[in-house]
Amino acid sequence: MPMYGDLGNKLVQHAKRTQNLAHLPAYQTELVRAVTREVRDLDRDTKNLLEPFQGSFDPSADQATACTLLVNHLAMRRNKRCLLAYHRTRTDKLEELVWNGVDVLDLAGQQAGGANGAGVADGGAGGSSSLSPQEEDYFRQYGDLLAAYKGQWTDIDLTGSLEPPRDLFIDVRVLKDAGEIQTEYGAINLTKNSQFYVRQGDVDRLIAQGYLMKLG
Amino acid sequence: MSYYDIDSILTDAEKIPCTFQLDVPDLGYLDNTPTQPLKSGTKVGLPLWLAEMLAIANTGDVEGKSFVSFDLPRALGNDVLQALKADPRAVPLRDQSAHFYALATRMMELSEEQELPAVLRRTFVTRASEIALHARKVGGVGHSKGKGAAEEGSNLGIGGAGDEFLRGLDEWERNLFRKAHDGAKAGKEWMEGVKKH
Repeated sequence: MPMYGDLGNKLVQHAKRTQNLAHLPAYQTELVRAVTREVRDLDRDTKNLLEPFQGSFDPSADQATACTLLVNHLAMRRNKRCLLAYHRTRTDKLEELVWNGVDVLDLAGQQAGGANGAGVADGGAGGSSSLSPQEEDYFRQYGDLLAAYKGQWTDIDLTGSLEPPRDLFIDVRVLKDAGEIQTEYGAINLTKNSQFYVRQGDVDRLIAQGYLMKLG
Repeated sequence: MSYYDIDSILTDAEKIPCTFQLDVPDLGYLDNTPTQPLKSGTKVGLPLWLAEMLAIANTGDVEGKSFVSFDLPRALGNDVLQALKADPRAVPLRDQSAHFYALATRMMELSEEQELPAVLRRTFVTRASEIALHARKVGGVGHSKGKGAAEEGSNLGIGGAGDEFLRGLDEWERNLFRKAHDGAKAGKEWMEGVKKH
């Protein structure tokens, strides 16, 4: 028999699994909706229970009602905690992805690729993205925030690799067309399958985004 | 333990055996009978987030009794404690509860069980050293130092039993294992990096 808080618990179990994954699984639109609906139902029950008392409810005079009210209140509080923790786990992950230089379009593409398999089984929104519309907003705005913060320093890349480079110049192969980039030594046109000998600092981000592959 | 801590929230979902101390007409659903009132004396398993507050809330009753009384969950029952006293390493804690220690800590705040803290402390210390041992072996640190076939052989010998022990770790112990293992591995990698340059 389902019990108040069961759905919220399911949501937290999703969050637990998310913590150990490299990618972000589909947003549980249905489950989130069901939990908020449960809170609304509980709130309505509570109002109905209190109505006959006209604002002068005495818990010690009617303990059974007091107990029901307490159970309702605790269930609502529990659901709130589950909802907040679920979303917080996901926004933590989103922030991590922003710092890693992942593109929001890449996230959408990744989900579309898996949509005919695990994506659908996950019971997500059925859209092309594993993010809710609000999460996409959050992702974009956090990205803007980070870019503005990074913009204060032109001579250091805050999201750059922490590994000291072995060589200043490296060989790279182009995996996806990335258009033309400007370097200190002039413009390079990055077309698929071509190879270049470039300064590592110029292409770090393109490597992280999967446009280029480091050779050797 | 933060409000947003996932493991803490999951610990809160563990069921505790409770007995209602009063009749509540609207809570029949807790005992699978939504149409009937919940009678005083009914035993139901309630999640910790519900049981805790119902057990400590002040009902306004003159005798100061609460809505429910509770017992220790089976994971902390006498059978388990006796087994832990005999040999902490032989008990798969995870089968009792995935959040065994977290649950136990919460229950100790509510219950006056005298023996529990000491048994748990000894359990953790004994198992922690066993965990550290396994974490190092998986990291292969002993082998890389070239101590020879004898040590490697003993690794293989207890491999099966070791797997079983690791499967029985609760969530907290798993974290400990992961940290010990990653630490040993990172240390090894650093040492190898030093040699190269």
